Amino acid sequence: MYSVARLSRSQPILKNVIKRSVSSSAPQPASAGGVSVIGFENKGPAATSSLTVALKAGSRYESIPGVAHVLKNFAFKATDSASSLRTARETELYGGVLSASLTREHLFLSAEFLRGDEEHFLSVFSSLLSSSKYYPHELNELVLPVVESETLQAHASPSVLALDIAHSLAFRRGLGNSLYASPNYPVTIDDVKSFAHTASAKSNIAVIGTGISTEALSSAVSSAFGSGSSPAGSGLTGGATKYFGGEARLPLDIHGPPTALPTVVVAFGSSSPATADLKVLKQLLGGESSLKWSPGSSPLSQAAAKIPGASAKAFLLPYSDASLFGVVVTAPTSVQTKTLAEEVVNVIKAAAKGAKDDEVKRAVAKATFADAISSETLDGLVSSVGPALFAGGAIKPESFSSVSASSVSKAATELLKAKPTVVAIGNVAVLPYADELGL
Amino acid sequence: MPTIDKMIFGNGPLGPSLAPWIRQRPTLQKFWARWSNWYKNAAGYRQKGYLYDDLIPEENPTVQKAISRLPANVSYDRVYRMRRGLIQSMLHTSLPKEQWTKAEKDERYLTPLIEQVVAEEKEREEWDTMIVEKLRQRKEGKKNIFG
Repeated sequence: MYSVARLSRSQPILKNVIKRSVSSSAPQPASAGGVSVIGFENKGPAATSSLTVALKAGSRYESIPGVAHVLKNFAFKATDSASSLRTARETELYGGVLSASLTREHLFLSAEFLRGDEEHFLSVFSSLLSSSKYYPHELNELVLPVVESETLQAHASPSVLALDIAHSLAFRRGLGNSLYASPNYPVTIDDVKSFAHTASAKSNIAVIGTGISTEALSSAVSSAFGSGSSPAGSGLTGGATKYFGGEARLPLDIHGPPTALPTVVVAFGSSSPATADLKVLKQLLGGESSLKWSPGSSPLSQAAAKIPGASAKAFLLPYSDASLFGVVVTAPTSVQTKTLAEEVVNVIKAAAKGAKDDEVKRAVAKATFADAISSETLDGLVSSVGPALFAGGAIKPESFSSVSASSVSKAATELLKAKPTVVAIGNVAVLPYADELGL
Repeated sequence: MPTIDKMIFGNGPLGPSLAPWIRQRPTLQKFWARWSNWYKNAAGYRQKGYLYDDLIPEENPTVQKAISRLPANVSYDRVYRMRRGLIQSMLHTSLPKEQWTKAEKDERYLTPLIEQVVAEEKEREEWDTMIVEKLRQRKEGKKNIFG
């Protein structure tokens, strides 16, 4: 385990249990021919390895709306050395899994496979980065149908749609770009080609391996990516992020699935990366239960428990130069959503006025655990290590030692000073405006 | 060079062709080109404004897929030639001579796409019918037979 954080001093026994042979053997990133590389050797008898190529090519950097989403779905298609069918069938033969995921800042291409097959999957990645064909017929036949269905799926979920709109209100351009391609902005094959070419510059790539040591990975990467595979260049750059805030109200699509409930997102952003205080504040407000069949003890879940089928969950979305903190409120009807949203705003304001010491201590413990457990899955590991590799910083666990009740309240007060971002999806005749919520 | 059976059967909807075999032999191709050009003019499609690839039978999934991959402008031009040619056929006339298809304009716009689709179908069939065997076992088996 490589990211264990310290527990607060009041729990010395637990501390000893959790602190395994860790921080001394935390791996350090290396550079392999201009590509930053890091490998984590698994503890235990795990028989699998994984490789992830992180590209700084999220929706934030896109030149044309939706091009990053299309590029994500162009992963593992035809290259000079193999057709998309061949790549898929060979992966099946090796017993591996290939996947691609897109965030606002990064595009992650992952391969999970049995130990010892590194060579094959590295060659898949190197040919993908250097000699992808980007055939127009693949765009029309394989990529666009998937892009379209992913966009439809995202828009069918009010909370996903509300968060997407919240980003565009909060940050406008850059981080505000939608994660999903839109039918209103067609993407041509030339757009994808030029975006992919800039994105696969060496300074834009980082490779993260698990079940493999950094030395082994960096030598493999420098031989696989070494032969002039990816172009040298500056990579993609985006402007600095500024927080704006604002309000948007949308009717709920009545053709949506029964799970699509009226949703209100109340969010506050800042143009600085997420701090430990905000991570604790998220756990303090809560909304997620730690116990089955129980609403939990956090103020948000207590508020939501009064209305059957309702939920109010705090979220914190960290980015390299900004963060968005907020609460997603859903309830079966718009009237109930309005009531709950008003209560949620009161809960946030109460946290800003002053948090109780023991509650903050509990939230610190939860935040420490959430931070540690996030790196146990490949998704969580990659999304925390990838940005750190690009930032050039050390890979280390977040330190919560400086967090106190007063610092959390101060962070909440700072948030409330900024103009709020409020997105309401549902019956707009009923759902409240930001000023009606008391913001 | 492709084998005879590939030339006859391996060409999909394009049908049997000796062209690859002839292209391998420059002297033969030089001699043949004259006859091929004469034949194409005598066939009469150029007089109706068609290109050679317009004549490929399209009533099968392979060619339909290839046609769907044409760029939009090429696809519109194809439909235009078809409609113009149909009118000429109904009127039992040919186009005015300046509108006949010139030999250098008579390019194969569809054949490469059909070949691409045929290759894809072939690859899929190969993967669908492949037999996985362990390399080590096979080697050991061979050793037992010959050793």
